[in-house]
Amino acid sequence: MAMLGESKHTLGTFEHALENLRNNVMMMASQTERSLNRALKGLMDRDDKLAALAIADDEEIDQLEKQIDKDGIELLLRFQPVASDLRRVVSAMKLSTNLERMADQATNIARKARKLNKHPALPEILLLSPMQEHAMAMFRDSVDAYVREDAQAARAIIPQDDALDKMNAQVSRQLIDRMARDPEQLRGYINLMFVARHLERVGDHATNIAEDAVYAVAAEDIRHQQVAAPA
Amino acid sequence: MVVMEKEEITHPASPLELQKPPEPELRQPVMINVDDVDFCYGTNQVLFDVNLEIPPRAVTALIGPSGCGKTTLLRCFNRMNDLIDGARISAGSIRLEGHNIYAPDIDVVDLRRRVGMVFQKSNPFPKSIYENVAYGLRVLGVNKKSQINEAVEKGLRASALWDEVKDRLDSSAYGLSGGQQQRLCIARALAVEPEVILMDEPCSALDPIATAKVEELIYQLRENFTIVIVTHNMQQAGRCSNYTAFFYLGRLIEFGATSKIFSNPSERQTEDYITGRFG
Repeated sequence: MAMLGESKHTLGTFEHALENLRNNVMMMASQTERSLNRALKGLMDRDDKLAALAIADDEEIDQLEKQIDKDGIELLLRFQPVASDLRRVVSAMKLSTNLERMADQATNIARKARKLNKHPALPEILLLSPMQEHAMAMFRDSVDAYVREDAQAARAIIPQDDALDKMNAQVSRQLIDRMARDPEQLRGYINLMFVARHLERVGDHATNIAEDAVYAVAAEDIRHQQVAAPA
Repeated sequence: MVVMEKEEITHPASPLELQKPPEPELRQPVMINVDDVDFCYGTNQVLFDVNLEIPPRAVTALIGPSGCGKTTLLRCFNRMNDLIDGARISAGSIRLEGHNIYAPDIDVVDLRRRVGMVFQKSNPFPKSIYENVAYGLRVLGVNKKSQINEAVEKGLRASALWDEVKDRLDSSAYGLSGGQQQRLCIARALAVEPEVILMDEPCSALDPIATAKVEELIYQLRENFTIVIVTHNMQQAGRCSNYTAFFYLGRLIEFGATSKIFSNPSERQTEDYITGRFG
């Protein structure tokens, strides 16, 4: 049937505003990733300067969240988008909330790093390495699925959160065991447990982003679905 | 084949209750069946093989770009197109509650009583408010004063106009505002107790407040009437209707629950139209 095949919006201003919103989300994701990396490197390398930079990043990310919400509301108000346009605006706004909370986790990790750095290094910090890699991979993959509008890739991220939860539980058990054996280092072990908890939260937010990506692309709400336990 | 989508059930207290379909578990009853309809103005075919089932006691919106045939189809439902030379259904049939409305034995006057119509521009008669609403009954031969009084009040109440005009029923309808005149036309249509009300862009000449009042009225009327509305206003279709049919170049592209059409249409053409990517 003769119909315009290209998908450019009749309203150029709407197209531009949507593009601008998307660019801000991508910029926010990039800054959040940088902040998480700085916080984790500050922790692992005992680098207070990096930890301080991660804490400083938070303000800029907070401002971006506000900007994305403002732009999103203005888009809804001015253009009353529907269908995929509406889903794009809503998911961008939800993404920004999750990214902001991830940046808060980066700040939390950086603060714990500065506390830990005041005392001699704990070899148990290496217990966190697999969690760190897993959480950051989930973060990158979820943002990537959102940017590429790849519902299949986004769906594949959801089950990965269980693995991160299990890692967190295991690290906690190991640290509690160390506390019993070496009460002198109690404060340090508790801070490491907190870091594990923050990484676990990063995984939760990555899952939310993946769910929002599926909604944006496929208009499907896959949140809060029970995953059948393996037999 | 166009398949009607079942709609998601929303919380009863939600304002989106409007979108809730009647009896989702049961097979939908049908008020108007459109079967394989082709329509021509002379040699110019404007509808092609349209199949549609209009559910009862719900609002169905017909949307699409100008010239897509939505108004033509609407006017087929009460045979308004009979008044245009050379206009005819060249194939297929339209049934109202199972009866072919183009059958030779159909009384067109009675059909138009059962299927009322409200037009784009309000068109009250140069008479009093009372006489405008009573007009249809008088045409039908009703002369009993008490019966007409009752029908006028009922029609004006149903069109949410009663409180505004009850003290000046004998005043000219031309003294009413545009929005009031349009609601008067709805009251006039309601007075003869139709089963279906057709609305052809009923708010296009109204300001936002008058539009809101008419939309509110449509929302209330759907409990007792089958309403088919043609609109160019996407937001209005989204707000008012339970079901939406999208037409393009004389063909029905997609029909389904409004919430589905406006959140995740199945057809690319529908998506492109409602998001403003062509038209």
